[in-house]
This record gives sequence, C-alpha cells and structure tokens, in this order.
Amino acid sequence: MDHHFMWSWPIYWYLFLAGVGAGAMAVSALIYIRGPGGNYGKHYYTIAKYGALIGPLPIIIGTGFLIFELGRPYRAFNIMTSNFWYKGFNESPMNFGGWLLFVVGAVGAFYALTFFDWEKILGEKPGALLVKWSDSIRKPLAGAIAPLGIATAIYTAMLLGAMPARPLWNTPVLWMLFTVSAFSTGIAAIMLANRIFHKSDGDAEQDGQFHNSSYWLTMSDVILISTELVVIALFFMFAYVTVLDASFAIQILLPGGELAPLFWTGVIFIGLLFPLVFESFFVIRTKKNGGHFHVPYLFEIAMPLAVLVGGFILRYVIVIGGQLTGPVGL
Amino acid sequence: MTDAHDDNNDRRQFLKTAGGAAVGVAASGLALTQTQGARAKTEQGSEDTNEPKVQYGMVIDLRRCIGCQACSVACKAEADVPLGVNRSWVEYTEKGQYPNTGRSFLPRLCNQCSEPDCVRVCPTGATYKRPQDGIVVVDQGVCIGCLYCALACPYGARFLNPVTRFADKCDFCIHRVSKGLVPSCVNTCQGRARVFGDINDPNSEIHKLLAKNPVSVLREHIGTDPNVFYIGLDSTDEQTKQPGQYVRVTTHKGPQKKRG
Repeated sequence: MDHHFMWSWPIYWYLFLAGVGAGAMAVSALIYIRGPGGNYGKHYYTIAKYGALIGPLPIIIGTGFLIFELGRPYRAFNIMTSNFWYKGFNESPMNFGGWLLFVVGAVGAFYALTFFDWEKILGEKPGALLVKWSDSIRKPLAGAIAPLGIATAIYTAMLLGAMPARPLWNTPVLWMLFTVSAFSTGIAAIMLANRIFHKSDGDAEQDGQFHNSSYWLTMSDVILISTELVVIALFFMFAYVTVLDASFAIQILLPGGELAPLFWTGVIFIGLLFPLVFESFFVIRTKKNGGHFHVPYLFEIAMPLAVLVGGFILRYVIVIGGQLTGPVGL
Repeated sequence: MTDAHDDNNDRRQFLKTAGGAAVGVAASGLALTQTQGARAKTEQGSEDTNEPKVQYGMVIDLRRCIGCQACSVACKAEADVPLGVNRSWVEYTEKGQYPNTGRSFLPRLCNQCSEPDCVRVCPTGATYKRPQDGIVVVDQGVCIGCLYCALACPYGARFLNPVTRFADKCDFCIHRVSKGLVPSCVNTCQGRARVFGDINDPNSEIHKLLAKNPVSVLREHIGTDPNVFYIGLDSTDEQTKQPGQYVRVTTHKGPQKKRG
C-alpha cells in the first residue's frame, strides 16, 4: 500500500484494548451489582473479580499507546486542560474522551484494588482493615464503573465518527458496532480467565458453579455475537444503499475491495461465525439435555481467543479502511 | 469597505427591530440580489454568527494556470516546509483517448474554511479561526500533534511536520499578509492565476472576481464553506469517472498518491 497512514498501530491497538477493558469492567460491575441472586449464583464474586482485574490494565496500556502516537507526547495533558479551565469541554470528542479515559483508568484501578487479597499481601492486621474498606466501597465503585465502561466503549467509536471527511467512520452504526464488540471481547477475556484460573479440587459444588458460570458467559457471548452480526449487516446496508462518499468507501470491505479478504476471514469467519457456531452448539446441547455445561478444554480456550482476534482485526480494518477511503470527487 | 459594513449593520438592525417572517424573507431576498456570487449565503446568515469582518480568500483562475509548480516551490521556500510534505501543491488530471485528450491543473492549499472541521475536532483549541482575518491557524505552543485535524480535513491540507512534530498547514503566509503583502504563491504565480484579498471588501479585486464569474469550491457537500474559489474547475476524478473513460490524477502531494 502506497498510502501514508496518519493513525496506525497505536490507534487500532488502543481501540481494541480499550474495548476489551471497558467491556470486561462494565460486565464485572453489572454482575457484582446483581450479586448472588443472579444467574452466576455464588460464583458471581469470582466472575466480577476477573472482570475487575482485567479491566483497567488494557485501558491504561491503550491510553499509553495513544500518548506515544502523539507528535508531542509530553504535551498529552493539553487534551484535557488547555482550554478546559476557562471554556469547559469543547466540541472535540477527544477532549471529552481524555477526561473519560483519565477517570475510567483511575476509578477502574481502585475498583480492581478492592478485589485484591490484602490479608495475603500485607499480613493479617493491616490487611484486615483494607479488606473492610474494600468491602464498603466496592459497590459504589461498581455503580460508577458500569456507566463509565459503557461510555468508554462508545467513545472509542465516537472518536472516529466525528469526521464527515472520513465516510467509513462517519456513521452512528459504528458506535453500535464498537460497543457490542467491546462487550463481546470483554466477556471473551473473562471467559478465558475463568477457564485458565479455574483449578478443580474435586469439590462437586464448586465445579458445578464453575460450569454454570461459564454456561452463562458463553450464552451472553452467543447473544452479543448474533447482535454484532446484525449490526455489521446494518453497517453495510447503511453505506450500500446511500450515494456518494459512504457508498464508495464501503467498497473497500465488499468482495473485491482492498481489505475485504482480511475482513471476511478475520472478522466474520474467525471472529464471529466460528465462535458463534460452536458456542451455540454447546449452549443448546446443555439447554436441551440438562446437566453440566461441558466443553472440551481446547474449545473453551479457542472460542474466546477467536472472539478477541476477531475484535482486533475489526479495529484494524476499520482504522486502516477509513484512512484509505475519503470523500469522492473534487 | 466601511460603507458596506455600515450598510450591513443597518440592515441587521432593521431586521432585528422589525422582526416578522415576511419582512425577514423579503429583506434576505434583497440581500441575495445585492451580494451576488458565492458569498451570498454567508452574508445573509452572518447576523447571528461571529463571521469575521475581514475574511481573506483566494480565487484561482484555472484557465490561466499552466501547472508550473512555481507556487509549490515558493511555498516550500517561504514556509521552510520539510521534505516529503507540502502546504501547497498542484494536481494534474489527464483524461481522454488520443487524439482527444486534455490535461488540467488544480493548485491546492488550505481552504481557510468558514466552518472548519479541523477546528471543530481539535481537542486542545490549538487550531482556531482568527477573528481578525478569518485565517485558520495552528498554535504551535499548544498543539500536541494528535493529527485529528489532519484526518478531519476533507482536503488533505494538513500534515504532521516531521521536524517540529506538530500539525502544520498553509496559513496564507500570515507573516506576509499581516504586513500588507500577498502570500508567496500569489506573488510568484507565473500566469497570474491566483488572486488574494478580502472577500468581504466590495472594492477588492477578489470580491469583484467572485461577483462576476462562475466560481466553484472543492467538496462543497462536506459543508465546510471554503474560502478558496476556482474559476473553470474540471471535476473529473478517477473515482467518479464515466465507464471506459481514461483519467489519471497525479497529486504531487508527497507520500499520499490518492486524493483526499
């Protein structure tokens, strides 16, 4: 490609990582607020813990990439402060997004810290005090994290969508697409953690809880992936049925387009259809036959991994495709 | 110039005091007939916006452009633009089959839009439209080089300056213009194709050119309301060409081969 990209790897890595982090955080907070009465039963705390511990790190790393990508990284705080104190937010989504990422990173980090096993880290006496504090602030923090996580997921697409000069991005369908994908990849990350860190010690009740939680996680993922397929169809139809810029821009993803092979194999087949087919197979089997939700270990790793890979390729294709296309004519 | 503004102010005052839809429609119809040409829309709507009193603009008469790139060279020297990037460039469009062929030239620069998308997306407020002359500038002391503006510009007029590491673009040679000179590209233009001036001043050459000639702007549908106008613009493009038509565009812009 003889094209000069203004936004390259830091941006699509950031979009992916912030999506995973925001999705995992929001899911964790929602499950925690629902508490033991929900589908996850007593296992809710473990699932919420995985989400909370996964959440902030990708967001902070992704934001670090964003700062690295700047022409003048040491001026990064200008995004938030250069005109904030006397003018408030300006029209730029990046101005609002800078504050959002700052707040979400900080609140998310505190939320994650409340799940730490402080008694083990600091010893009995100081640890017990921290655990007491953690227990008391965890729920209010979860209440803040749920909307903040959703806002971060939406913001990743809002950043791209604010420019009429980039017709592939300038559509509200992209907001939906990135939000659904953020939740789907966030749940996939929790599924991976749930599988990898589960150690069976022969306790039937604990194993039952683990299987039950992975059943509900997989079920949510099936619903989200189906939604994502519908949103992608909308994304295509929106551009395809219109004239001028957007209809020209979408050609890059339609068969014959420059990025079409990557999009259709990477996003549609690996990222969506493969996990959808197998996840629905296992979920439906359990729902029909009853009993434990039993999935071969390999699939339990491969399915969420495929969702994550697909989510990354989606961000890559959109970021690169939006820069390869532009307004048509003069 | 001052007379015209007093005139305008009187009209605005009249509109404000009179009110009423019918009067408004009649008066705006009057305004339309009085200020012919491309600026009519803005003139009419300027009472509730902070439209700059002086709005520098440029008319490029493409019938007189010979594609010599003298403007590109003058710009490069004047603004000390690093290698690989350009503030000003000339695109060549070749079309047709022998013997019926043609080549047209399209000098490009920042359009100093009245509704600039780059200003709208700038998170720091580093880029803004100067109220005194309508030139869109980048404050080097605030810019962080995120390139949001460069992506939002429908004309591809912005780039990351590889030496200074902030967003850079044509500023109508602000250092020359503020001393009463014309921009370097206008000064050097061999065919006198470029005319620079205040488009709100009824006595300026550019105002008269805009009033008397059919002019067009680039990518009007994006809604940026550009202040660089072209006379005799050929809108032939590789993407929107007729089936079977031969069109080749050479942008001379630097690393980016495609338009936009």
